[in-house]
Amino acid sequence: MLPPTRLAGGRGRASAFPVLLRRSGMRFAPSGAGTGPVSLKHLTILMAGWEYPPFHTGGLGVHCYEISRELARLGHRVVFLTPFPGPFADAPGVEFRTLSERLPPGAPIPGAYTPAEIYGPHFLDVVNQYNDWIAHLTDAEDADVVHVHDWFGTVGSRALARRLGIPLIMSVHSTEYDRTLGHPYAPILERERIGIRAADRIIAVSRQLGEQLITLYDAPPPRVRVVYNAVRPVAPELDDGRLRDVVLYLGRLTRMKGPDTFLRAAAIVAPTFPEIRFAVAGEGPEYEHLIALAASLGIGDRVLFFGKVTEAERAALLRDAAVFVLPSVVEPFGIAALEAMAAGVPTIVSKTSGVGEVVRSAFQVDFWDVDEFASRISELLEYPHLSREMGDQARYEATEAGWAERARQTVDVYREAIRARALRR
Amino acid sequence: MKIVFYLHLHQPWRLARFRYLDLGTGKPYFDIDRNLDIFRRIAANCYRPTLDRLETMLRQDSRFRVSFSITGTFLEQAALAAPDVIERIQRLVETGRVALLSETYYHSLAFLLPPPELEEEVALHQQRMEDLFHVRPHVLRMTELVYDDDLARFAAREGFSGMLAEGWEAPLRGRSPNHVYSSVARGVSVVLRNYRLSDDVGFRFSARGWTEYPLTAEKYALWLSRSPGDVVGLFLDFETFGEHHPASTGILDFLSALPSAVAREPNLEWATVEDAVRVPPAGPFVVPEPMSWADEHRDLGAWLGNDMQRSAFDAAKKAGTFARSSHDPEILSDWRKLLTSDHFYYMYVSGKGADADVHRYFSSYSNPYDAYANYMNALNDLRRRSLAKSRASH
Repeated sequence: MLPPTRLAGGRGRASAFPVLLRRSGMRFAPSGAGTGPVSLKHLTILMAGWEYPPFHTGGLGVHCYEISRELARLGHRVVFLTPFPGPFADAPGVEFRTLSERLPPGAPIPGAYTPAEIYGPHFLDVVNQYNDWIAHLTDAEDADVVHVHDWFGTVGSRALARRLGIPLIMSVHSTEYDRTLGHPYAPILERERIGIRAADRIIAVSRQLGEQLITLYDAPPPRVRVVYNAVRPVAPELDDGRLRDVVLYLGRLTRMKGPDTFLRAAAIVAPTFPEIRFAVAGEGPEYEHLIALAASLGIGDRVLFFGKVTEAERAALLRDAAVFVLPSVVEPFGIAALEAMAAGVPTIVSKTSGVGEVVRSAFQVDFWDVDEFASRISELLEYPHLSREMGDQARYEATEAGWAERARQTVDVYREAIRARALRR
Repeated sequence: MKIVFYLHLHQPWRLARFRYLDLGTGKPYFDIDRNLDIFRRIAANCYRPTLDRLETMLRQDSRFRVSFSITGTFLEQAALAAPDVIERIQRLVETGRVALLSETYYHSLAFLLPPPELEEEVALHQQRMEDLFHVRPHVLRMTELVYDDDLARFAAREGFSGMLAEGWEAPLRGRSPNHVYSSVARGVSVVLRNYRLSDDVGFRFSARGWTEYPLTAEKYALWLSRSPGDVVGLFLDFETFGEHHPASTGILDFLSALPSAVAREPNLEWATVEDAVRVPPAGPFVVPEPMSWADEHRDLGAWLGNDMQRSAFDAAKKAGTFARSSHDPEILSDWRKLLTSDHFYYMYVSGKGADADVHRYFSSYSNPYDAYANYMNALNDLRRRSLAKSRASH
């Protein structure tokens, strides 16, 4: 007889198995599925990233840092290929090779590029040089895989993988359709398509992104894998009696992130909770529009615009936050929400955010439903037991699978691709 | 060996999404359509086919007995969604071989509320049993099979001759659950649920990984006949048959085959809960702290285990004072629908393991926070309504 388990009082399944249903509707395998006997050989990975901390403008650089670091910690050799000159954040075991080692004759600016030069008027020229350099990369013959992140290095990575006869893995963190709300810039879109067409395996940061790659980019479902992002645990604050009285938006100020929804919800909540402040941290093209919007909603005096924040300021904001809101219209993952949760902040995310696939203890709201955002914010401000339980659970849930786990899943994908090639031969 | 086969019928009034912004707007708390849709679906899968099977079993085997507990909220929904389900139960009760139990009308934790809530809810339920089925039950079961010595005393005061409880190891202190025991209250016997044998059907019947899979009526009757003791309690959710285990698992055929399989074992006979409480008790049964039939610990943790659940229940308790003093029957009935234990069950914060899976299966929300926020909003609104009403009438 099985150990005693029991059934409690009876009722029907109202909205049965929301999580399971979503999983069973999956058209492609989760990472690690179908991996056979594990080879213990350590791999050499040529990683065509782009930015790398401390310099980074988005989540891609952080992702590359964390994943390369953990891959090295697992004993693999990671060679990171970047156009930026460094210095690079300390990641023991990760080797860096920069574009400056072979700038082609006729480069618009001689020597190593600075970030300002890279993001200047010659941006696409630099991208082309970066790809050309990767395509002709020397001293790379012992590599096992080429792993390219997003569109930047796809052309060169494809050529390099072909030349070396090794698998190409492409990680997609967001798509050009999403970044432009449906108005993709052709040269970038083309580079995305090239990578997705050529890759042996495509890693998406969420299932919803994976689905998008299948429908919008014709990615073959059997090649698509999901490896979610992760965050580092945040040491719990001692209860210093600090008042958590900030409702926080933290992210780039672009239309796809939905900051206007945040302000409209804030305007509804503000009169009922006069002691609460609303904070908008981040910069971006919508900045001035949002300031004007706050004024026209009559909450100009209740909203603080912080602009771009440093790591320390970010941590301080999370310490003061009563609620974190991620109202994105489009959000392939949404690592900021995971960071807030890791800091124990009750979090509300739009249903279109990929992060919603990995967490249960966040409120999920339709991105257009301002009233529902306002209600959820109010509920978290009104009911202390709710925010405490949710914050505690969020802290646990957000850090349950760390970067080490994500690196292991990435290695599974590498090995799968290597094995698939061996079988084809 | 007497087999006490007892099935529980309950459906809660599930809440609609009641937003914070809905406070004071007059929006109803309960999503009637959704509740009735669910009821209709379960009626098709489970209530109708299972009641029909039971009717056939009663017709074909004059020795077969079964007992039901039916909550008031179930009957309200049945009347609106599938009145034929009530008629089917009436036909069964008319055979005289189906016993009904008393309980709280709203499937509530009223025993934790100040009097007279428990008395009133049990009386309401008794009245409903008499109106619909012309029966006055003599055995009481409390919501989620909660039992303790105080409840036995309550049962004695209200004139009941028996109660049901979980056959859990702690109070049995090494004794078998297959006996009737005497409660601390004079005249009130306790019939116990044999959770192993009950869960073999309720929980494991369709588990292909189970070493005993597939479970046949013959095998099960053999287990019953070899079980030591004189009364074995098989207490199950009615939804076991056709809902938790769909008909495709063979659960309904298993049920139909039970009477003939039992008839082949000479030491077995069927009994209602009312028959069982007349069996002489095998000894005292002492339960100072409330015990239920849910989760690993069999305590009240499934409903009042975390701060959200406790604060919600406290808030409901306080709202009761306002609701009562409003003297508005609609407010009082809304409040009582909010007392249904299911609402607190949905607020359980599950980790991993069997309990978590069971909680998730039964929840009508995607997480406990949705459940809590929604509930608190409705309760807040109810308090406002009550206050407005009291002020208006002064």
